[in-house]
Amino acid sequence: MKLMTKARLKSPWVLHYDCGSCNGCDIEILAALTPRFDAERFGIVNIGDPKQADILLVTGPANKRNYKVLQNLYSQMPEPKVVVVVGTCGCTGGVFHNCPNVLGGVDKVIPVDVYVPGCAARAEQIVDGVVLALQKLAAKSERMEEER
Amino acid sequence: MNGEFLLALTVILPVFTGLLILISGKSITKIVVPLMALVLGTSSILILRGGEFSYSPDPVFQSVVMILDIVLLVYFLFVGFKEENYLVLLLSGTQALMVGYFELAGGGGHGGSVIIVDGLSTVLLLIINIVGSIVCLYALSYMDEHEEHLHLERSRQPRFFFFLLLLLGAMNGLVASNNLFWLYFFWEVTTLCCFELIRHDGGEIAEANADRALWMGLVGGVALLGALYIGNFHFHTISMDVLISKQPSHLLLVAFSLMAVAAFTKSAQLPFQSWLLGAMVAPTPVSAQLHSSTMVNVGVFLILRFVPAIGGTYLTYGIALVGVFTFMFTAIVALSQRFSKAILAYSTIGNLGLIIFCAAMNTPHAYTAALILLVFHSMSKGLLFLCAGVIENRLHSRNIEDWEGLLERLPLTTVVMVTGITSMILPMFGVLLGKWAAVGVASSAPMLIAMAMITMMVVGSSATTLFWAKWLGNFTILPITENRLKLEKLPLGFSFSMLLILALDVVASLGSGFLIQTVVFPAVAPHYDIVWSPGLLGISSQLGSFMILPLWVAIAITIVGGMMLMRVKGGEIKPAYMSGENVEGNPIAFRSTADSVVDYRIAGMFFDPEVTENRWNPWGTMAGILMNLLVLGLVMV
Amino acid sequence: MSLNTVLAVIFVIAAPFIGGLLTGLDRRITARMQSRVGPPLTQPFYDFIKLWGKQPFIASRFQPMLALGYLAFILTGLILLAFGQDLLHIIFTLTLADICLIAAAYNSKSPYSNLGGRRELLTMLSYEPLMVLTAICVQVITGTFLVKGIFEYGRPLLLVVPAAYVAQQLVLVIDMKKSPFDVAGSGHAHQELVRGVYTEFSGYTLALVEAAHWTKLVFILSLVSLFWAQNLLVGAGLALLLWFVAIVIDNVYPRLNWKTMLKTTWSVGFFLILSNFVALIILEVV
Repeated sequence: MKLMTKARLKSPWVLHYDCGSCNGCDIEILAALTPRFDAERFGIVNIGDPKQADILLVTGPANKRNYKVLQNLYSQMPEPKVVVVVGTCGCTGGVFHNCPNVLGGVDKVIPVDVYVPGCAARAEQIVDGVVLALQKLAAKSERMEEER
Repeated sequence: MNGEFLLALTVILPVFTGLLILISGKSITKIVVPLMALVLGTSSILILRGGEFSYSPDPVFQSVVMILDIVLLVYFLFVGFKEENYLVLLLSGTQALMVGYFELAGGGGHGGSVIIVDGLSTVLLLIINIVGSIVCLYALSYMDEHEEHLHLERSRQPRFFFFLLLLLGAMNGLVASNNLFWLYFFWEVTTLCCFELIRHDGGEIAEANADRALWMGLVGGVALLGALYIGNFHFHTISMDVLISKQPSHLLLVAFSLMAVAAFTKSAQLPFQSWLLGAMVAPTPVSAQLHSSTMVNVGVFLILRFVPAIGGTYLTYGIALVGVFTFMFTAIVALSQRFSKAILAYSTIGNLGLIIFCAAMNTPHAYTAALILLVFHSMSKGLLFLCAGVIENRLHSRNIEDWEGLLERLPLTTVVMVTGITSMILPMFGVLLGKWAAVGVASSAPMLIAMAMITMMVVGSSATTLFWAKWLGNFTILPITENRLKLEKLPLGFSFSMLLILALDVVASLGSGFLIQTVVFPAVAPHYDIVWSPGLLGISSQLGSFMILPLWVAIAITIVGGMMLMRVKGGEIKPAYMSGENVEGNPIAFRSTADSVVDYRIAGMFFDPEVTENRWNPWGTMAGILMNLLVLGLVMV
Repeated sequence: MSLNTVLAVIFVIAAPFIGGLLTGLDRRITARMQSRVGPPLTQPFYDFIKLWGKQPFIASRFQPMLALGYLAFILTGLILLAFGQDLLHIIFTLTLADICLIAAAYNSKSPYSNLGGRRELLTMLSYEPLMVLTAICVQVITGTFLVKGIFEYGRPLLLVVPAAYVAQQLVLVIDMKKSPFDVAGSGHAHQELVRGVYTEFSGYTLALVEAAHWTKLVFILSLVSLFWAQNLLVGAGLALLLWFVAIVIDNVYPRLNWKTMLKTTWSVGFFLILSNFVALIILEVV
């Protein structure tokens, strides 16, 4: 594995966006950063700035109110980037599926790489999801390096 | 070309040119002023190469000066009478009586030449004739725009240029005068020019500010006459060099303290700072001329002139206190100022205070530091005023909050102004060399005094960095743009003068070693040991070193490296992060309540209400009055 | 090429790497203080490489140059320090570097970045006087601003101006962007004004800023180690002590506002150092 890809895997910075979730999944995400699960040992940092983030962690269903924000944040993230959707609401709309303002899962708005279902998704599952996202990130990274 | 001829040229040519313009009208200004500027600049450089000289002109000139002075005083009385300004009447009346008595009592003193051009005079002559002339060139374009803006039917430029050029001539005469009466005469001519130039545009505010400048200047004149009296009636001499070489006695110190007060009025130190701030209403070339290159330097010149005589006395520390306190005070008040020229004015007063502080601390290192600061400050401040004038004319606003994003509209002016601001706070330029030296002066002082000086210096210098950097930040805020910058069209007078001073400043900073050796050392050497060693890389002394060249190398590497980075890695220009609420196609807007599109705006940081001019000025003025009384009183010790 | 020159060059080249390792160690220690495991020691280098490889987004055409300037001028200051030059001049060079960063932050019309730039100015206003006062202490005691004066003085500076050493703690806390004074943009895992002064940096420009940070850390620690110039290992120990205390302070204190930062640094700094001067006058050391 090339050095660049290794570095990308070792230093995934996360941008966390709540699309309209009940905050249950958000609490679980924050729990993943706490000492019990300690995501920081993998180099994961909750950086609030899309320009500096590699992984976009989204919770909640995409809806008419915030799809523009979601697209904007996604566009402001530089490659290589992956999107991890946490919680059933983000995957398919969950309990809010078919509500008037809800567009459905996040993949209706931006391309998603990893789905972490659950209501609320457990912290261990979130960590697993991020690890899977890192594998996808590695694949994207290898492709990027080859194109260069 | 001998020195006497060149000096006479520098005094008479501007006056003659001014009269010519007054008579023939504005049409010839664009021909005669550049010619005059060229002659003046060259003459000052030739005087530098020629070396020191002294002479006394034919005694008939003494009478000429006396007669002209009487005419001047009559005019001041007339002004006081017309404006019903009792202060002006009182002060000019006092001067008239003093001059009259002096003349009748057979004043004139014995010994000493009338004119002495030594190292110190040469430094000032260079500044006046080079920077001052460039300001005159700038004025050629500025006054056209200015009068167009005011919709004047008949041009008042002849009057303006007459006084502007008269000021140059008087300044040249002043710095060469060894005879105290001549010095006083030229001093009051500069007061006259100051008065006339400030009120040039007319109007209540301009008249009021001009009156204030007048009476404060007249206070200085009375103080000078007081010193003249002591010299003449007690020591039987009115030659500065003779007075300076005498052993300090109480009465001599009184004379010097009076000269110090006169210098404070001219250099707008506390409590006399208000006239300089009021001079903002005048057209920008006036501010530039008054505030940077010429008039205010006269006060500093006088202090530099007599300070070698008072080493080791309490008086010298008193004067230093006024300087450093003014520096600190003006630096803090400048934080609250929104108007460009107000910031520049406060900065000028502060830097002059710093120069006075250095000069009055009376050590070899300090004297050299004062001269360095003087030379570089004149260039940087002149540059800043010129650019500020250009921007003001185009934006019709002096409020620096309106001066955002100018890089797109006025790229050349912005770059020059930004460089000017950096020249005041960054160590590649000579002003910082002076500041570094000034800190060394404060820390080398006797300990108890040093503690107060150090505190004020550090507070002042931090505040100056802050208000300059704040303004710099304002300039560099720009909306995301991919457009190539298009240079704006500027009248020749503007672009030539701005770029010339900028080039001078950069070259002088790069070649500061050479500059110090050729210009500053001849002024220091007669009075103090030379303790600085200028070299290619920068300056070094026992106190430390100031390496200018490595910084310029670093800048060059940064610029080249930056350009290479852009080429190799480049980058897509992305809009700012606004929590995802950016608006398509509008780089500065975001979606707010109910999806309304709002432009992002940031207001400036001005530290009110803690630091406001209205709150602080009375305290500053009071402190200034106390300190000036201290200066006058310390001679008793 | 004397031995000193060689050592100086090695030092300057090694400085960013040492700074990176110290930053990694910082994160590890912080994690352990929080009952966590923490990232590996080389984490900052992985961060740097990853950032360098990101798709480049910039805020303006001048941002890369200004970010490079930030790094370049800190390196220049470090080079000047390594060659024993004038302390005051070196501090002014640091100001130059900071102004580059601030200009870069103002260079885009971004609310977080502009506010961060303003806060960074205030931060500079808070710690720079303390550094200048320390340099002045050195001059008053040794007679010169040159670093070699400290070596030739004979007694360790710590024993003469301990107040300046304590004041450096404040400088270090502020420079390491640690609570309570990280108002302009915090270190990792904290957010202030999103990323404050660093908001609009990304990819290689952010990598340059990170490298500049590491260098600056080593720079300030080197300055502190001069407090025991007679034995630089002891000096380094003194520096690392302050560094460690900064980490402890960070974990204890919440973030305070800029007014508090300004008031605290100025009052504590001036009071401590001026009292030290008075003591020196009384003890007739100066």
